[in-house]
Amino acid sequence: MSGTGFSLPIQVVEGGGLTAWLAEDHSVPVVSISWSWPGGAALDPKGQEGASRLAANLMTEGAGDLDALAFADALQDEAIGLDFSADRDSFQGGLRALVPALPKAVRLARLAMTAPRFDAEAVARERARAVAMVRRSLEGPQGRGARAFWAAGFPDNPAGRPAGGTEESLAALTVEQLRAALARHLRRAPGLMIAASGAITAEDLAALLPELFGALPEGKLEDPPALPAFRHFGTQVVPVASPQSAILFGQPGIPVGDPAWETAQLVLRILAGGGFTARLTHSIREERGLTYGIGAGLEVIFDQSVLVGSCATANARVGETLTVLRAEWKRMAESGPTAAEIEEAVAFLTGNQPLQFTDSRRIAAILLAMRRNGRPLDWLARRPERLAAITREQAIKVASRLLAPAELSVTVAGQPEGL
Amino acid sequence: MCALSRRAALSAAAAIPALAVLPPAQAAAQPAPSLPSTGTDKPLFGASLWTLPNGLTVVHAENRRAPVVAHYVFYSVGAGEDPQGKSGLAHFLEHMMFKGSEHVPSGAFSRRVAREGGQDNAFTSRDVTAYYQNVEASRLSLVAGMEADRMATARFPAEEAEAERQVVLEERRQRVESTPRGRFREEWDAHFWGRQHWRGRPLIGWPEEVAALSRDDMLEFYRRFYTPANATLVVSGAVSREAVAKLAEEDYGGIQGRPAPYPKAHRGRAPAPPAPLEERLVRREATVQEPAFLRGWIAPSLPPDNEASRHAHPLEVLSHLLGGGRGSRLDKALVQSGLAVTAHCAYDSDALGTGCVELSVTPRRDTTTERLEQAVAAEVQRLLDDGVTDAEVERAIRQITAGTLLALDSLGAAPRILGSTLAVGLPLEGIEYWPARIRAVTRAQVEEAARAVLAQPSMIGWLLPEGAA
Repeated sequence: MSGTGFSLPIQVVEGGGLTAWLAEDHSVPVVSISWSWPGGAALDPKGQEGASRLAANLMTEGAGDLDALAFADALQDEAIGLDFSADRDSFQGGLRALVPALPKAVRLARLAMTAPRFDAEAVARERARAVAMVRRSLEGPQGRGARAFWAAGFPDNPAGRPAGGTEESLAALTVEQLRAALARHLRRAPGLMIAASGAITAEDLAALLPELFGALPEGKLEDPPALPAFRHFGTQVVPVASPQSAILFGQPGIPVGDPAWETAQLVLRILAGGGFTARLTHSIREERGLTYGIGAGLEVIFDQSVLVGSCATANARVGETLTVLRAEWKRMAESGPTAAEIEEAVAFLTGNQPLQFTDSRRIAAILLAMRRNGRPLDWLARRPERLAAITREQAIKVASRLLAPAELSVTVAGQPEGL
Repeated sequence: MCALSRRAALSAAAAIPALAVLPPAQAAAQPAPSLPSTGTDKPLFGASLWTLPNGLTVVHAENRRAPVVAHYVFYSVGAGEDPQGKSGLAHFLEHMMFKGSEHVPSGAFSRRVAREGGQDNAFTSRDVTAYYQNVEASRLSLVAGMEADRMATARFPAEEAEAERQVVLEERRQRVESTPRGRFREEWDAHFWGRQHWRGRPLIGWPEEVAALSRDDMLEFYRRFYTPANATLVVSGAVSREAVAKLAEEDYGGIQGRPAPYPKAHRGRAPAPPAPLEERLVRREATVQEPAFLRGWIAPSLPPDNEASRHAHPLEVLSHLLGGGRGSRLDKALVQSGLAVTAHCAYDSDALGTGCVELSVTPRRDTTTERLEQAVAAEVQRLLDDGVTDAEVERAIRQITAGTLLALDSLGAAPRILGSTLAVGLPLEGIEYWPARIRAVTRAQVEEAARAVLAQPSMIGWLLPEGAA
């Protein structure tokens, strides 16, 4: 870490046959715990799209002897954050509580996982809300574009379907199907990954683990359908009445376990990262004023990834934006980053690390992601030295392997001109 | 009392950042951390505040969780100070502040911050404009030096203005013009307060006015409002008060600014109209998939302190018990009853000059507009006729203050809450002891505040699918 050597000490905590990673810190009296199971929307049967996510929402809408209202008040009275969610490849839980409220938070989380009620009123209400959110997401170019982009990239695979479901699939889901979606995920082993952060000792966390998860059954997890490579679909236009087009672009990524992973992240920081320094931001936003923001990165799905990015520009300027985008993609693929760019990006990625450790939920999420990606305990501590060791030759090689200008698929949602 | 949220939509109390966080699909809206309760009456942040001879307000709040600091400068000027016919000036100028100052070439500011591992951005709200950097603690003097340089000598290069104007117009398209909800929200404010009233204009500006903003407009605005006496420096994180005092003196103390243009809470803004300018706004659009209902009232707020400000804290309590989420009155009457999908009440006590109480509802599709309006009107009438119960007030107070300490669980919450509140002229004690002030609210005060606001004229708005009744 340029200068400080600051890293996050991580402890491995075992309790009741469960293992959690912990970043202990007593500076603020708050504890966050995050956990996940693999699967998520990938395990929703065909026609039941959105089952996992809706079931996840319903877990905090009444459980045990608490109806939805009593459950909500129990959380709000103590400012406890408790959420369950499902995305493309996982089912997740998370809680955050001030230290005095932690025992209650754990009780409520266990109740939500072991005895969700699925009362008719709550199911009808949450279903209506989910349907409304899905419909609303399709009102503008952003949502319409995203829906089409993933469908075209992963046809005939759950990864191509909206994780939140569709109006039709949500309307047809039965309570049995929702309960089955929970049963597909919630178990003490295998597959459960846990991470914690904040004002809790290893000893207290060890005691808490069986309380939180001990009552869940054991049993094999279903295998999700194999994930095909992201399909190249050329340029796709989704007509949406809007003065501005939403543009999504993508191509296959590399596996999370690929030895080139970190070098790829470095290359992508230089090409398409956040902040004001990346090449795409410079040439598309700063020089030409074509967009408010543009960026791209590797989106992980199971152990694979898709390289996906987005921006938005006035309909008349879509052609120019794509021309510049493709030229930058090609330039990086052919020549890679310069030595100066590499030096700057390594300095950023190293120096930025302590800034990731300021929020207990974020720290727990980072630890959980490390576990899901199969990273070793010292992954963060040794990251600066790995980054420092990347040579320009390696970066050029990875850029040319990773970036495939001819494979770049583009979805334009709007009324684009100049395509 | 909500912090400015970085990615808030263009709604009440919204602030808009200079750079989109990308990709947009992953940019999670960060809900404003509700300021919250310790259960004791210790100051929440333990911040200290002093003023330099040139008028700069300096605030320090220590937090040693990680070896990092947040460095913020808030100017007590926002879109509310945009001159007549020049809406969007405060925001466009904020973008141009990244285009260089005497010792920092255009674009170098962010590049240097990134080179040191930091992140920087800025945002403009109706009441403030803020610039910030999060950096590892030993880099503090680097960012302070550059921020002080642009406080004193920003250049606004003409040759970069046109591309940046296009960026702002793309930002406007993305936030406002590309969805029916964005367009409706903008129309709502314009019809409620007046298209050229400071409260009714979009923060980002009317497009024809943004198109005409000039470098001279920017320079005049900058010279008048960007001066130490109109700014609040907030430094929080792993840094001592002594270090901040030294840094403030060295980097900012030498800036010979002009006197403050006004007291921070008294900016000479036009008064709020006595009532919303219209009773009803109905928009139908083909792309609308879900109807949206709004009902709003003009309401007092804390700044500037006046006779009506006493209603502000009671209104925070009222807003929660009326529409603060599951179990609120609107939730019971509209959502649990099956008439609506969502129902909320919003009120921002820190809004400068005038606030508003706003109910927003997503009705179910099979609920007619008449039925929904009647149900909302019945709840409002019940509140005015029968008042509220002690139990409701007690629970609302408990719930809105329960999470006070969670404001310490992030790097950004403390400087945002401190800066945005102090920059509208509110006192530090109001932040440090906010939970105690909320806990002191009585049932009678809530009922009085309800009558003062909800018995007044309101405006109703509908965004409907085309062809809907």
